[in-house]
Amino acid sequence: MSVEQREAPPRSRALGGGAVAGVFLACAVVSAVVASGLTAQEAVPGIPMPGPVVAYGLPVVRVVLDLAAVAVVGMSLLPKLLGFDHPGRTEPVMRRVRPLTVTAAWVWAASALLTIVFQTAELNPGSVPTPAMIADYVDSVGTGQGLLFSAACALAAAGIGLMAVRFGEKVPAELRIVVALFGLLPIPVTGHAVNSVWHDPIMISMESHVMGAAAWAGGLAAVTVFVAPRRELLAVVLPRFSRIATVCLLVVSLSGLVTGLGTMALTPGVELPGAILTSEYGLLVVAKLALAALLVPLAAHIRFRLLPAIRGGAATAVVAWVTAELAVMGLAYGVAVAITRASIG
Amino acid sequence: MRRLLTVLLLASAAVGISLPARAHNVLISSDPKDGAALSAAPAQITLVFDQAVRQGYAQVGVTGPDGAAMADGAASVATEKVTLKVKPLTAAGAYVVGYRILSADGHPVTGKITFRLTAPASAAPSTAPETAGQTEAQTAAQTPPATPPGTVTASDAADSARAAEAAANGGAGMAVVWIVAALLLLAAGTGVALRRARPAETGQGGDAPATDASRAGGPDGEGRA
Repeated sequence: MSVEQREAPPRSRALGGGAVAGVFLACAVVSAVVASGLTAQEAVPGIPMPGPVVAYGLPVVRVVLDLAAVAVVGMSLLPKLLGFDHPGRTEPVMRRVRPLTVTAAWVWAASALLTIVFQTAELNPGSVPTPAMIADYVDSVGTGQGLLFSAACALAAAGIGLMAVRFGEKVPAELRIVVALFGLLPIPVTGHAVNSVWHDPIMISMESHVMGAAAWAGGLAAVTVFVAPRRELLAVVLPRFSRIATVCLLVVSLSGLVTGLGTMALTPGVELPGAILTSEYGLLVVAKLALAALLVPLAAHIRFRLLPAIRGGAATAVVAWVTAELAVMGLAYGVAVAITRASIG
Repeated sequence: MRRLLTVLLLASAAVGISLPARAHNVLISSDPKDGAALSAAPAQITLVFDQAVRQGYAQVGVTGPDGAAMADGAASVATEKVTLKVKPLTAAGAYVVGYRILSADGHPVTGKITFRLTAPASAAPSTAPETAGQTEAQTAAQTPPATPPGTVTASDAADSARAAEAAANGGAGMAVVWIVAALLLLAAGTGVALRRARPAETGQGGDAPATDASRAGGPDGEGRA
């Protein structure tokens, strides 16, 4: 509901920070529900299947978890991007960012715990999960443990964020970044993996994919929402972020290709060239690849056309372009939620 | 700060690699085979996956041509095999075996296979016991006392399989250890960082004690990691 309210920005002023974040959120949620719905496992005769609350709730909770983590990573990166040399200019921005980081970390922790509940419900169709069922799930399934670990890291990020609210930049930015990235580590465990000697390389590839995507999307969103209204600050911050974004683009697309194709190649019964277009997993990989390809011209336009003007302090339509880029990223995040759950074969 | 960053990154890399992540199970074969046309009714259905299926959560159902559920009891899991006993199948026609198992990577995997029964089932398997007559009654009389010990050992086996799986997986106990270790590491890191940051903020004079503090804190953090 709040998603739809945020989706329509007030026409009177330019795209505000809330609207930019809202577009990102709305695209991700819609894409997660649609992609999960399209690739949902079909009901089979004789087997009770989870009800619609779980079928639609789980992708939504899962995408909220991803986006909250992205927000925490992005806002934790912000002090590094802003620099520490001109606290007079950067401190007003950081005073807004720090409490929001804590809030996002709490949302992250809550949605991670909620995801555990929903996944327990998914495995026990037809009943409301009891604490005993949830404990059993966490005890026996690695995904539950991974999510618990992620929630713990999110709580740690919230704690450190609170210290940052209290003590300001005395709490080192690196620590906040590392804690946030630490919480992302268990996320790939909730997705697919392969059972072979290539397990570790593919896990590392997935870890870099998740971290790269979070730094890229989160950093871009944080810069746009908090820094874009201050043109003189943007002239310094965006070029710095641009360098990170270039690395992230390369890391994310390369690791995505390696993970997607590697996972398919190593799954028994999957014939690689054909399965890309026949299996649900393959089609979702193609969808993500198409979205990544769509990001390249958007990113290139900002990087090569708009950035020189921004560096000079001129007014540009950068917020609109970044909003478009974030919308595509949101769609990619939604597809990512579906891809962790789609069947490969 | 660099050192703190390195320690934390190394720790996270270690955690990332050691976290268990398994693959998605794929059905590789079954008995009866998918699409098979059988003249004799099977007494049980066996589904074989490419790797071990999680204990618990496995559900298999058999639906007959008239829509009746033909499963006899619950499915049992033995590593990669899931077996289900079925009631005597009498009607000829198409049967659907639906399954929903918990994949090794923690995802539910659903699917179905179908088979056809061409002749009424009274033809092959049940006629043989019927001709035996008395012996069938005897075995039937013998089986009830025989089954309780059998099921006990089966559940024992299931328990030990579950325990082995939990051990391989780490279990919730291991997760708690990981979380506690991570929180200790983070607390140590925060402590070091704050001690280091305070003198640096008050002035240049505090530079030397600050490095001392980080040096003192460094091994502590690594030791706990």
